[in-house]
Amino acid sequence: MVRLRAAAAISTVAVLATVLATGCSAPGSDEEESGSDSGPIKIAVVDAQSGQLSSLGAWELKGARLAVDEWNAQGGVNGRQIQLDVFDDQGDPTIGTNLARKIDSEGYLAMIGTAESAVTIAMAPLLKQAQIPNITSGQSPGLVGAGSEFLFLNGPTSTTYDETLAKHILDGEGVKSIAMITNNGGYGKGEHDAFLKALKSRSVTPVVDQVVTTEQKDFSAVLTSIRQKNPKVIFLGAEEVESGLIVKQARDLGITATFAGAAPQGTPVFVDTAGAKNAEGTIVSSPYLSNEINEASKKFAAAYKAKFNEEAELHGAKAYDGTQILLTALKTSNVATGKDLAEAIRGTKYQGLLGNFAYDQTGVGIFETSIGIIRDGKLVAAGS
Amino acid sequence: MQVFLQTVIGGVSLGAVYALVALGFSLVYRTMGLVNFAHGNVVTVGAYLASTFYLSTKLPFALAMVVAIGLTAAIGLVIERVLRPLENRDFDLMLIGTIGFGIVLDALIIMVWGATGRAVPSPVPSAPIELFGLRIRTYDLVVLAIAAAATVLLVLFLSRTKRGAAMQAVAMDHEAATAVGIHVGRSNAIAFMIGAGLAALAGGLVGPLLYVSPALGGALGIKGFAAAILGGFGSIPGAIVGGLAIGILDSFTAGHFQGYSELVTFLVFTVIIMVRPTGVFGERTVNRA
Repeated sequence: MVRLRAAAAISTVAVLATVLATGCSAPGSDEEESGSDSGPIKIAVVDAQSGQLSSLGAWELKGARLAVDEWNAQGGVNGRQIQLDVFDDQGDPTIGTNLARKIDSEGYLAMIGTAESAVTIAMAPLLKQAQIPNITSGQSPGLVGAGSEFLFLNGPTSTTYDETLAKHILDGEGVKSIAMITNNGGYGKGEHDAFLKALKSRSVTPVVDQVVTTEQKDFSAVLTSIRQKNPKVIFLGAEEVESGLIVKQARDLGITATFAGAAPQGTPVFVDTAGAKNAEGTIVSSPYLSNEINEASKKFAAAYKAKFNEEAELHGAKAYDGTQILLTALKTSNVATGKDLAEAIRGTKYQGLLGNFAYDQTGVGIFETSIGIIRDGKLVAAGS
Repeated sequence: MQVFLQTVIGGVSLGAVYALVALGFSLVYRTMGLVNFAHGNVVTVGAYLASTFYLSTKLPFALAMVVAIGLTAAIGLVIERVLRPLENRDFDLMLIGTIGFGIVLDALIIMVWGATGRAVPSPVPSAPIELFGLRIRTYDLVVLAIAAAATVLLVLFLSRTKRGAAMQAVAMDHEAATAVGIHVGRSNAIAFMIGAGLAALAGGLVGPLLYVSPALGGALGIKGFAAAILGGFGSIPGAIVGGLAIGILDSFTAGHFQGYSELVTFLVFTVIIMVRPTGVFGERTVNRA
């Protein structure tokens, strides 16, 4: 009897999982094509709204929403309002590919997202086939490797982040004793390869090169072996929460080394998870250090605060830039679709929060980051 | 040697949390023969409630935990009450029912607390204790002590009180227990209530160690479930041994197999279960299922 029940339970779960996975793809929808000349312009935001990566998805949605609302308040594009719809990919490439089919069948002109490179890479071939331009917040060099002329990045790739970081730590500070902890997810893998390449080009080998899983919660073994090597700097290639846990546990184990990383290590979630005291001094390579950098970022941060009642940060800024570029391209191209819209995006020169965007053939529009340091729980420009 | 011992220490505190989660799974299973698939989500609810009372209402940590455990136990009662009519009809429907409850709780968590999650500062801010070059977090000791106390209380309840004895009786023979006048429904309700309370305890304790987000219970639920199976599903000492074993195993595979640690953990788990399908403390009392 026990066995029967167990078998029934397992098959039930399996059936349910299949139903859930397939249930997401809607059958052929007969909504109006928005490629037509009237009605709202339909843009999809695809991002994790649930699961471990949902904070990224929430920030990105806010950035995109802010940009769209600003355009709509000024009459939209060519007199047409912009309709922004959200789809939850749960940070899962399988769900992402289902959503790619869905936004194609429902006639969306373009897509904003996702924030997870692995999901975007999985969606890229389908979006390319459907000729739907996609502006992603991912930064993995694998995005460029996907080779789709419909895929654009709203920020620099890991190569840029990590080259700037290596330049600061090795060439600037003269530190050679460096340990690496990266995770085996899409983002961590990209960071691992990019930072290792930057080290190799300076003939430096990391003292320890540890890989963790994305779900890992306890890092005692990894950190204890790092402690024995006593590195000066520990490079982190993992998302916000995991990086925060690593730093918290490292400090509990008595590791005093400075941490360094790219975009996730500059976020409030990272600092909160690690604890402000533990994160103090973390070196961050980021294209958007703070809301106080210039007039544009101050204006953006004020609007963001007024709308969502929270402080703006990098991911919101990136999505805002990406959405502005898309809307600008829609305007200049007279609401073109498919290949014409992709070309219009490529041709758009945009002065954004992250810097001056000018896209090349690979879909990357920006090639520099700055170095910031965490001081008293806030990211400030290095040297200030 | 230092790495070895530090790895054990790292595994033990999460292991204690897995053990508490496993206890909840086992208690419901031994009483009803039911796997409560919503258990992981109940852990998340407990973690959010505890952190809300601690951070927003500014209650002392211990008091916040007590309130969270009480509220979460009430949720356990609700789940049991809704599922009760199904018990004598089709057992598989009850299983699906718990999965459904899990999905509902997950959605409610995101609606109430949002999708982004929160960090909970440690309620015991003192520096780690240094011992022979090993470092032990004071909060880890608190977690271990509370987990041990909860286990002792549970065992005492089951063996020394009339209500506990009645639950044991239902676990052993459902029909005979009914025949001697034990209210099976009430016994099930108490199992669900205590199970949910344990889930809240695990969730509340793990908050300051990890990061409270809607995904928290998923990871803990799977490890806790594996721990319960490993120890012998339905067995109280088995849940403790299984929890600690999974925690330490996890910690070691992370050190040796890096990116493949999760895979190795579950491979080892599978091999143990194949050699010993009833787990370490396979009990006869679960035959009822």
